[in-house]
Amino acid sequence: MSQITLTGIAKAYGTSVAIAPMDLTVADGEFLTLLGPSGCGKTTLMRMIAGITLPDQGAIRINGRDMAALPPEKRNVGLVFQSYALFPHMTVAANVGFGLKMRGIARDAAAERVRAALALVDLEPLAARYPRELSGGQQQRVALARAIVIEPDVLLLDEPLSNLDAKLREHLREDLRNLQQRLRVTAIYVTHDQAEAMALADRIIVMDKGRIVEEGAPVDLYRAPQTRFAAEFLGQTNVVAVTAAGLLPWNTGVAGPADGMVSIRPEDIAVTPALDGAGRVLSLTFLGPAVEYRIDIGGTVLRARDSGTGTAILPQGTQVDLTLRVPPHPLQGVA
Amino acid sequence: MRRLPQGVVAALLVLPSGGYLALFFGLPLLLAFLGSFGLYARGGDGGFTLRHYADLFGTQAYRDGLVFSTYLAIVPTLVSLAISLPLAMGLAQTFPGRKLFNALYKVPLVVPGIVAAFIVMTLFDRGGLAARLLTPIGIDLPKIVRDDWAVGVIIATAWKAVPFMTLIIGGSLGAIQKDIILAARTLGATPLTAFWRIQIPLALPGITAAFLLTFIGGMGAFAVPNLLGPVYPLPLSVHMYVNAFERNNWGLVAAMGTMLSLISVLVLLAYYRTTRSLRTAYGGEVR
Ligand SMILES: Nc1ncnc2c1ncn2[C@@H]1O[C@H](COP(=O)(O)OP(=O)(O)OP(=O)(O)O)[C@@H](O)[C@H]1O
Ligand SMILES: [Mg+2]
Repeated sequence: MSQITLTGIAKAYGTSVAIAPMDLTVADGEFLTLLGPSGCGKTTLMRMIAGITLPDQGAIRINGRDMAALPPEKRNVGLVFQSYALFPHMTVAANVGFGLKMRGIARDAAAERVRAALALVDLEPLAARYPRELSGGQQQRVALARAIVIEPDVLLLDEPLSNLDAKLREHLREDLRNLQQRLRVTAIYVTHDQAEAMALADRIIVMDKGRIVEEGAPVDLYRAPQTRFAAEFLGQTNVVAVTAAGLLPWNTGVAGPADGMVSIRPEDIAVTPALDGAGRVLSLTFLGPAVEYRIDIGGTVLRARDSGTGTAILPQGTQVDLTLRVPPHPLQGVA
Repeated sequence: MRRLPQGVVAALLVLPSGGYLALFFGLPLLLAFLGSFGLYARGGDGGFTLRHYADLFGTQAYRDGLVFSTYLAIVPTLVSLAISLPLAMGLAQTFPGRKLFNALYKVPLVVPGIVAAFIVMTLFDRGGLAARLLTPIGIDLPKIVRDDWAVGVIIATAWKAVPFMTLIIGGSLGAIQKDIILAARTLGATPLTAFWRIQIPLALPGITAAFLLTFIGGMGAFAVPNLLGPVYPLPLSVHMYVNAFERNNWGLVAAMGTMLSLISVLVLLAYYRTTRSLRTAYGGEVR
């Protein structure tokens, strides 16, 4: 039930710009993911929305209401800190119950909600422990429960799953998405992990150096990125220069601007052994469900991923032919 | 090589630190304790006796002295704490001239207590600087040197104790991770609530250390109350001096010292009880 609107929001620390003037709207109930390299300003952006870092300029509105004059405690924004920020002198239950206590919720009702929140993150048995008695992943889940239990209008998650093992991560990822949809809470989720971003998000924002580089739904952003940065950040890709004649290095014609760049995902390249093939396998990596080849073709090195089960693994030095499963995707504005 | 039994090894390992503690702290305390019962006492006859305690509690001046010593420990410590806590909080903020203030407030730390007492005296005594400045404009300063409530002692002690406590408390407040306080804010705590529920409990070890050290200093204070305190009652420390060097009554001195130490220990125990209940109140501990 909450729409977030940022207009011209900016923040600098001294002379270093953390967030360049930025506009962003998050729709009610939307799950937005911020994706970007370390230091690009993701945390800064979240902290400004939560009200614990003040922007240098611009306005933040939640449901049209200007937040400038509202201190963090009046915003009803749940923030899961990247550093967890658990209260070391409180048990897990007291940590999770803190926000309810601040809201004057009756003891019994609060205890029940704490229990439910802890059950959600699989931590019920550890309710009486102190944070120092928990593993990093368990602490992270307490932080998550603590932010969820207050039923915030906006849920901000700063890499909330970064410390969990792959299995728990996937499990919690689904729970989180279900929970978000059940509560219909507007969520912004920060991650480094592009797979996680794509699995969770309605929309992904790719950031770099305090700016929004590109945004879009996961499918569009993955399959048809506009920028080289987004193409490379969202999974692996081959960025290949198109010759002036509009040809790829191996003399295949492409649609799109001559003299530009195209992005070809490794899984879109089919590799077939051919004695007179133009390509040669430089090296290969067995990844389990797929095999990744580095292939030299006309002096350009490409990554290709073959997921065909049952096909033979091609040894190093094999001559191969390449076919593209989809037309290569042109990138804008890169040299 | 023959191996030593484990118990012996353990004993050897703790010998350096344990031995040091026993020799320089345990032994003198034990001797004072025994001496208060007339055992191994300097100048005593060696037999067990409760005479010294009877003497202590049977004499009005000594009873009042014991109460007064406790008063001189509690009140200046509370006053200093009430000033140091906000001061330590304030010093954590940024404000113009912070660096200068940060250096200046520590000055009393390097001024010996006796000097502080003389400063208070020259400022506030009859005909002192404050009186000479204020009388012309019609303000009559109340008597605060050698007054019944020992206001002069409280001022001089607090003047010394405030920077000391501020330093320690500021250190433990500063050690709290900023995000923890901010997390409390996003969960609905006002700055004041965050202060009481997060900062104070987390800084408690520092606050307590500062409190106890100042308290114990006050229990044994000699020079400052002697200079600035009332004529009656005298703190127990002064009675100890008189009994030791003018009456050679070492047994009574030992009894007095034991009582002063006992009160300090009781305060320490009270502290442990309080922090335990704070842990349940704040932390939700159920054990
Ligand atoms: N309190 C601060 N003082 C000075 N510079 C800061 C401060 N906080 C952040 N920065 C700088 O602002 C920039 C953005 O930081 P931010 O923490 O928002 O990055 P991030 O995208 O969250 O990175 P990460 O993925 O590593 O968490 C960085 O260059 C950082 O050094
Ligand atoms: Mg961050």
